[in-house]
This record gives sequence, structure tokens and C-alpha cells, in this order.
Amino acid sequence: MKAFTYLTPGSAEEAVGLLGQHGPQAQVIAGGQSLLLAMKTRTARPSALVSLAGVDDLAGVRLAASGELVVGATTTYAALSRAPLTGWHTEIAAVAGNLADRPVRTMGTIGGALCDAGPRYDMLTLVTGTGARLEVLGPSGVRTLSPGEFFAPGGGTTLAADEILAAIRFPAADAFTRVVFAKFRQRTFDAALASVLCAARPGNGGVQITVGAVRPVPVVATAADPEAVAAEVLDAAGGPPLVQYQRELVRTLTAQTLSTVNGS
Amino acid sequence: MVNVTITVNGQPVAADIDERTLLLEFIRDVAGLTGTHNGCLEARCGCCSVELDGAIVKSCNVLAVQAAGRSVTTIEGLSPQRLHPAEHITTGSLAGMYQPLDMLGADAADLHPVQAAFHKCHALQCGFCTPGMVMALKNYLAENPEPTRDDIRAAIAGNLCRCTGYQHIIDAGMEAAEQLRAQADA
Ligand SMILES: Cc1cc2nc3c(=O)[nH]c(=O)nc-3n(C[C@H](O)[C@H](O)[C@H](O)COP(=O)(O)OP(=O)(O)OC[C@H]3O[C@@H](n4cnc5c(N)ncnc54)[C@H](O)[C@@H]3O)c2cc1C
Ligand code: FES
Ligand code: FES
Repeated sequence: MKAFTYLTPGSAEEAVGLLGQHGPQAQVIAGGQSLLLAMKTRTARPSALVSLAGVDDLAGVRLAASGELVVGATTTYAALSRAPLTGWHTEIAAVAGNLADRPVRTMGTIGGALCDAGPRYDMLTLVTGTGARLEVLGPSGVRTLSPGEFFAPGGGTTLAADEILAAIRFPAADAFTRVVFAKFRQRTFDAALASVLCAARPGNGGVQITVGAVRPVPVVATAADPEAVAAEVLDAAGGPPLVQYQRELVRTLTAQTLSTVNGS
Repeated sequence: MVNVTITVNGQPVAADIDERTLLLEFIRDVAGLTGTHNGCLEARCGCCSVELDGAIVKSCNVLAVQAAGRSVTTIEGLSPQRLHPAEHITTGSLAGMYQPLDMLGADAADLHPVQAAFHKCHALQCGFCTPGMVMALKNYLAENPEPTRDDIRAAIAGNLCRCTGYQHIIDAGMEAAEQLRAQADA
């Protein structure tokens, strides 16, 4: 690890100010679960760490007047998995409670996963597939981005060095009648080799399939048939060509989520 | 350098440390408690698991500064076998410190129920993973007192054991759950 100074702002605005003051070599630390691994191998070498742990209003889950579910960026997986949610929002808690392992879920945050933007992280598929909106705070205030705007097309994010992710706004509980997430991983604590989210809209809205982990950013399919979805993901831009097992995983997981959604 | 105080097993431990110090290093090298093991240093093996304000974490993937002002419970906090930090670790001092239970005039009844269950179910061989396994299970059983074997498997998904093949550890988890329930009813 390279030496760094450790800064503990008390508010989100102060955190943004410190990032500006210390320049692009400064980096935010939320839970540190990805960042510390990168710092140990010196693939990340920040000269200053700006901790968000002391910023209370960045953590926690609440319902907005609009019905949107607002999840603070530093809400840990452990807290999210225990949040008292209703309707399709319960799938958010279920996904948060079934990734990595319990110790990593104690520290790891939803915002950390999204800003790290590991293609195989479950939260990327979840926010993309449900069309969540991402609230980004910078020196000139808040801007709200779609997942397509937040994630850079080739991987990573479009965040500026002095911006932080403040919150994730998931659509209201009545936006979908059912949301089902499925993934395949080699061992329980491994990140997904492929993940699929199937979101069913009310009325004749149909279903929306989103495929994660096989491309740098999740692919939102236009089709809702396993074969056609796999073909679309195959054609999607970015990364090396899909290999056989990935195509089969996409097909199988799509079929699985569709049958769960249709079966109830 | 930064001055940090962390309460370890109820005792405040203060020191000037390099910002890069991991919580694991603080526990072992500053507090002198070597029951918390370093097996991988990359959040994979779980040998370094401790409780931070009652929640389970891998202490190799947390900075000591992230734990400043907070409370840590390590394996040494579970039973009165080893309450005094080691100044200097030698084979001799270790022999004095880790007395067999009977030499302490103690028996399995003095162990934490999870430790006693590991003893009873033969849930360790070399013992390297054991502190982490015990901490992970102790923490999990407080959240779910009536686990299934699969629940136990999921709870220790982040803990690797190279010796036992896990089955006896799962036995011990089930046994400890039963003992803890009996204790709660009494
Ligand atoms: C052993 C292990 C197993 C794992 N398994 C899985 C798995 O099965 N599925 C899965 O999805 N993930 C898995 N992960 C990854 C996990 O999701 C992330 O490590 C974790 O959630 C990142 O969150 P954090 O708060 O620890 O982020 P940090 O490590 O603190 O930060 C990560 C990056 O994001 C930046 N950042 C963090 N928060 C913000 C913010 N609010 N604004 C701007 N930038 C920010 C940091 O500067 C850093 O670059 C695993 C990780 C480990 C260590
Ligand atoms: S030493 Fe911490 S998980 Fe292996
Ligand atoms: S008993 Fe040897 S690693 Fe588990």
C-alpha cells in the first residue's frame, strides 16, 4: 500500500470539497472492500482517502413522497438486506443478502459496488434492470443520471474526480408487479459469471430482461425470449466475444427468471 | 501517523499508527492478541474474522482508522483462556499463555458454547481457521438461533478450512445452536 492521508468529512458537501482540494489523487472510501484489495496490490494508489463513514445522511433507506425507494449510497449490504421493504423492493433486499459473504456484507456498500462498477457485481444488473436513477453530488450540486449515463459504455463510471454518488432512487413499489434476479456463480462467495433480471410491468407492460456480468455494462434486452435474449447479448458491444458457456448461462437464467415471473 | 483508540475485548487500546495499518495488524501487533489469524490478507479465507461493534468483519480488509473509536471482539474475548496480551512471543511465553484447559483448572464449561462445540465435535485439526470460524458462527447464531445445516454452510461461506472437510464444523455449528438455545431457555 502507498501512504495516504485519511480524511473524515462530516457532510457530503465537505466530502466533495475535500476531493476538489486534494485533486484526482484523492479517492473516496466507503466500506473499503474493493478499494483496499486494489490498494494492497497497488492497482489503486490514492494519496488521500476521503471516508464517507461519518456522513450520516448518505446511509439509510427511505420512501420518497413519489413512492420511489431512496437508498443512500453508503447503505451497507447488511443494512439493505434487513430493510423492511414491500412489493418488488423485497428483491433488492434479497439480492443484497445473497452476495459475497456475511463479513463483506457488513462493510460493503451499494454505492461502493456501483462506483467500482465491477461488471460481475449484482447491483449493476439490479439498478440497470429496474431503471433506477443515480443521484450524483458534485461542486455545483446534484445531477440525476440513468444507469446508461452513470456507467461508461466500456466499463467504469462517468463520475468526475470530485463527484460522489449520493443515492440510488429505485422506481416505486407499484412500478413492477414482480422483479426476479437470478445468477450463476462457481462458489457461494464468488461474483456472478452471469446474472439476469426479469422485471414485469403492470397491465400489458410486458417484461424487461437485463443481462449482467458477461459484458462491461449490463445489457438491456429488447426481446423476452431466452434464445433471442442470448442472441442480443451476443451482438452487444464491448468485451471479448461470448463463449458457449456464457450463452448457455444467459439462456438458462433468462428462462428461469421468466418462468418464476410467469408462474405466480 | 495518526492516533487511534480501539476498544478491544473491553479494553481501550490507543496507539500512534501508520494510516495503512489494517485492523488485523492493530489487533495482532498493537494489542498483542495473536488469536486472530492472517491467512490470505485478501478477504478470502476468513481466518481474520472479528466483530466490529457486534457485526462480523474480515479484519484484514478494514483499516484500523475505519475502526477508530469503535469496539472489537476477538476470539480472546470469548473465554478467559488468554486475557493478557503478549509482550514478546516466544515458544516459552506461548507455552505459558496457552495452558491446557485442565491446567487452568477450567473445563469445557468455561468455554464459549461455540468453542465447546468445536471441542466436542472435533471441528478442528491444525486450528488455523478456527478463530475465524468460531467468530463467524458466534456472530451468525446470535442472528439466527435455529439454523439448518445449509444456513450454517452459507454463514461460513467466507471461511476456508484446509483440513476438516467442513462437516465437523457444520456439526459444531448445529451443536452450538442447540446449546445456546438451551442456555437462553434456562
Ligand atoms: C470476498 C469478496 C467477495 C465479493 N463477492 C461479491 C459478489 O458475490 N457479488 C457482488 O456483487 N459483489 C461482490 N463483491 C464486491 C462487493 O460488492 C464490493 O467490494 C463492495 O460492495 C464495494 O463497496 P465498498 O463500500 O466496500 O466500496 P469501496 O471499496 O470503499 O469503494 C470502491 C470504489 O468506489 C469508490 N466509491 C465508493 N463509494 C463511493 C461513492 N459514494 N461515491 C463515489 N465513489 C465511491 C471508491 O473510491 C472506490 O474506487 C465481493 C467483494 C469481496 C471482497
Ligand atoms: S486473512 Fe482476512 S480473509 Fe484471509
Ligand atoms: S483446521 Fe486446519 S484449516 Fe481448518
